[in-house]
Amino acid sequence: MIAQVFRQLAFVCVCALLPALVSGAWQLQWKKEEPLAAGEIRLATARQWGDAVQWVDARSRTKYERTHIPDALLLNEDEWDSLVGPFLDAWDADKTLVVYCDGGSCEAAHKVAERIRADLKIGGVYVLKGGWAAWDGK
Amino acid sequence: MGRKVIAVVRLALAAVFLVAGVMKIWDFKLGHSATPDFTVAIQSYHLLPFPELSALLAIYLPWLEVVAALALFVRRLALGATAAVLGMSAVFLAAVTSAWWRGLEIACGCFGKEDAMTDYPTLILRDLALLAACSLLFVAEWRRTATAAESSTASASPAPEA
Repeated sequence: MIAQVFRQLAFVCVCALLPALVSGAWQLQWKKEEPLAAGEIRLATARQWGDAVQWVDARSRTKYERTHIPDALLLNEDEWDSLVGPFLDAWDADKTLVVYCDGGSCEAAHKVAERIRADLKIGGVYVLKGGWAAWDGK
Repeated sequence: MGRKVIAVVRLALAAVFLVAGVMKIWDFKLGHSATPDFTVAIQSYHLLPFPELSALLAIYLPWLEVVAALALFVRRLALGATAAVLGMSAVFLAAVTSAWWRGLEIACGCFGKEDAMTDYPTLILRDLALLAACSLLFVAEWRRTATAAESSTASASPAPEA
């Protein structure tokens, strides 16, 4: 009976492996071809800019306090009014702002970047493609 | 245990795993693959040593959920499929409990992309209910398979001579 359980389990696992392989191959292809959206930059580009980048963390305060990119400033939509003052105090006009959120399809970074451009009239604001997940994965 | 109860449990488990799997494969709201978001969700648990493992798991696990959900209705695979959903439920419960223990503020990722942070007590209760349902179905499938094996052995044995 136990052998039967494992035999059937193995068959189910192999059956799941086939569509997963196809899906994985397709997504690798998709990932290669995925273009940058307007205002996005890749991690490699931001790294090349080195100290000329000011990282802006658009995630929640809890996540920021747990861990963040070194020297990143916290600025999110939920606490915009209270965070924008300290952000402007720390902002260096010579640096390029790169905003990030969790990664995947999170939209927080795009919203914060848009608000920096519109409300604070600051140009040269980019969004990190892949967000924190891209940084954490390297 | 009534057959109707087992049928309802089987149907409910299949529905839960099918929906959870499909929503981790494709983001219907945004119209693209949900794998990157599920990879982020897995990474946020900080249980795997390499990010590449999170990506591989994010590709494979949803399909295992879908295939196991469908196999629950295939008589010759139901026992193995029940073992698969039982194992996955146990792993989900362990992962969520561990995240709560470590004080992580994360989104569950149980049904694809979720913006809200996990409400641990509710989620653990839900996972416990899922584990109980899987255990119930596993016991029922085990008994059914054992009974079928016994009757098959009995019918294969030569009839005693009068």
